[in-house]
Amino acid sequence: MTSDSPATPVAADLDAPTTRAPKAPPLPFWRRLSLGRYTGVVVALIAVCVYLSITQDVFLTWGNFTNIVKANSVIFVLAMGATFVIISAGLDLSTASATTASAMILGLALQGGWGIVPSLLVTIAFALFLGFLNGAMITRLKISFLVVTLGTLSIYQSFALVVYNGSSITVFGRPGFNVLGDFVNHSIGPFPLLMVFDVLLLLVAGGVLRYTGFGRALFAVGSNPEAARLNGINVGRVVLIAYVLAGLAAGLASVVQVGRLTSASSQSDPTLLLTVVAAVLIGGTAYTGGEGGVFGTLIGVLFLGVIQNGLTLSNVSAFWQGTVSGVILIAAVGLGVLRDRGWSMRLRRGAPAPSKLPEPPGAERAAG
Amino acid sequence: MTPAPAPLLRLVGVTKRYPGVLALDRVDVTVQAGVVHALTGENGSGKSTTAKLIAGAIQPDGGHVEFDGERRTIATPAEALALGIVSISQELTLAPTLSVAENIFLGRLPRGRGGRVDWPKLNAQARAILEELDVHVDERRAVGELSVELQQEIEIARAVSSSARLLILDEATSSLSEAATARLLEVVEQERARGVAVLMITHRMPEIYSAATVASVLRDGRLVGEVPLPGTPEPELVRMMVGRELGDYYGKRRLSAGETVLEVDGLASADGQLKPSSLTLRRGEIVGVAGLVGSGKAELGLALGGAIPNVGSVSVLGAEVDLSTPRSAIAGGIGFVPDDRKRAALLPTRSVAENFSVAWAGQLTRRGILDVRGERRRVREAIERYGVVTASPASRITTLSGGNQQKVVLGRVFARGLDVYVLSEPTRGIDVGAKSEIYRLMQELAAQGAGIVIISSELPELLGIADRIVVFHRGEIRGEFDAAGLEEEALAHVAITGAPLEQAA
Repeated sequence: MTSDSPATPVAADLDAPTTRAPKAPPLPFWRRLSLGRYTGVVVALIAVCVYLSITQDVFLTWGNFTNIVKANSVIFVLAMGATFVIISAGLDLSTASATTASAMILGLALQGGWGIVPSLLVTIAFALFLGFLNGAMITRLKISFLVVTLGTLSIYQSFALVVYNGSSITVFGRPGFNVLGDFVNHSIGPFPLLMVFDVLLLLVAGGVLRYTGFGRALFAVGSNPEAARLNGINVGRVVLIAYVLAGLAAGLASVVQVGRLTSASSQSDPTLLLTVVAAVLIGGTAYTGGEGGVFGTLIGVLFLGVIQNGLTLSNVSAFWQGTVSGVILIAAVGLGVLRDRGWSMRLRRGAPAPSKLPEPPGAERAAG
Repeated sequence: MTPAPAPLLRLVGVTKRYPGVLALDRVDVTVQAGVVHALTGENGSGKSTTAKLIAGAIQPDGGHVEFDGERRTIATPAEALALGIVSISQELTLAPTLSVAENIFLGRLPRGRGGRVDWPKLNAQARAILEELDVHVDERRAVGELSVELQQEIEIARAVSSSARLLILDEATSSLSEAATARLLEVVEQERARGVAVLMITHRMPEIYSAATVASVLRDGRLVGEVPLPGTPEPELVRMMVGRELGDYYGKRRLSAGETVLEVDGLASADGQLKPSSLTLRRGEIVGVAGLVGSGKAELGLALGGAIPNVGSVSVLGAEVDLSTPRSAIAGGIGFVPDDRKRAALLPTRSVAENFSVAWAGQLTRRGILDVRGERRRVREAIERYGVVTASPASRITTLSGGNQQKVVLGRVFARGLDVYVLSEPTRGIDVGAKSEIYRLMQELAAQGAGIVIISSELPELLGIADRIVVFHRGEIRGEFDAAGLEEEALAHVAITGAPLEQAA
């Protein structure tokens, strides 16, 4: 065999000190930029806003902006709840139905002459119960979230029809409604109360995700439930809370909705659920769970809202809005998937993780 | 002596560059027909990149490839197959819903009239191959229903049944039991005798020494040297791989075993894989657990970690521990690290920092509110303490090498400051340098008074690190040994037969 090629020629090399870097070099700037999952959507949103402000005089006015915010408040509130559920690697298909059912409870309470406080309390409690029902069936009975929430989608909608025989309940002028009407229509200075409410909700939801044990546990459960369980996280409880929070969001959304419509409608808006889920996904929350956040969701809601507003201002038929939203959803999520796949493929190809080794000196010479 | 025949395959100065990394730097490898050639090195040294290059999965950026003495490119995996280059890799490439026979003959199913698949012929041929390999499985079963180990054997059957001229084993034994590994090495020897060239990619020393006659060692993408085997002693080979003396690899400390810290009395798993077993562990002691796949040793770890339903009585420092959930096991003072890093330990979408702090939730929250500053400090300390190489604590855990991921997984449990640690295959799939660091950490923990149970399929590892070794066979402890002066054979004999080696009287 090749007895003339022993290890001797490399002996000198072996004695050299190990050049294992104690710390890897900082990431190149383009990779740091791509760390935020919703960077692309923010850029697209800005581009759309610039285009609209050039072509539509009305677009860049405070009045138009507050209109966008008010018109999308129900979607925003529901999307906050949906973000928690989707981070847990689940999905709540019943969210629009739960909103309708809660709205009927609020409508009945107000119509029955209840004051605003007991009406709100009973509505929120009811909505929490609906979320708890979803969560309990998913975590205790171990039924798939798709099956459970598809079932309750139907059940909660049906409930909303049953309680008042399929009719809507007009609450305008009822004693309890005044406060609600003020909440939806009044402003603090230039800021509509609804906008203030949305911002507070955003801060609370963002704070819960980032600064609480529950938030951390939620991400862990969505990322790898078995790893979470082995590290002492009560996975069932975390998932249950996520669905209860989605229920809470449905309750809050129903309050906003009844306020804006001055009535409780017994029929869900058929596009509401899809818009909510689309907004969360466009905002960079992964449908596979374990990553995302409410600030991305805000961007997603704003993006869809601005597009809708732009189409209306441009006199494009409302029938086209679904097409546009759908294309945006697929494009935004698709781009994210492509980027992630690029990552994992590079890792699978067996390239040493980029952070492990500094570029060996003389790399250019090797090109020959 | 005899003039060497033209090599089957020659890599001449091949270079492969990835963004920011030089994966291969002017590497020369020559593989002869009828020779088992080991390609070895730490993880990230370029072994797998080399294999992929030969198998046509990737193209070199510099240098060239010669096959049969002719310079040529291997542009696609199909082209490599046509040349007779067959790979068995650590990642399975089987179609789970197809039958065993279909998988073995995938892409070359025997055809009857009109292009119909000739099922009887297919099944008969598959059975013949399986019998030759001593694999007992119904060739009509779907591959997805089989254990990972059997799937690996199907993959091997597929490789040897195709008329290979160059067989690449890319960490092919990583999910095989010792018996199956031995069988594979037999197959390799048969193939070699037929004149097949074998390129064996692994960092498992016993396999290299039992099968290969020449080894090429890679480090940081460069060829360190080519040495004859078994003429080169193991420490020399390891030194070439890691580029430094590992010194006392396992870092043996003086054993000063103290009071009993863990008492396991009749612990059994509900699925029957682990029969009632008893064990005691003292402060400062490292106990190794050996056994074949399916012997119950993995279930011992899972049961102690509260990860699977179990019965029996376990106490830590005299206090009974509730093993009904992982949470209660941790509360009782037992820290468990599972064997499957990807499936059960990593949070793949989260940062290095969160992968650490997921284990410290209880210690880092006050009334549900996270102590963000405390978390940042502890993560920084842990990265330093456990030698994790990462660009930043905010980097995704999946950007780290396997060894660094494992340091996070172990470090987060070690940092809890518990009395007992149960580690299942703590060094599986990581390189020699990281292994050595992990052994050092274990020794330090033990020196500080913790008791450690290490469950491992690698006997040399157990002999090196443990003070005492128990051996499982069919769900029960069949042997208990003092590790000092113990031979591998004695352990292996109990693991395989369930009875101690007869003393030569």
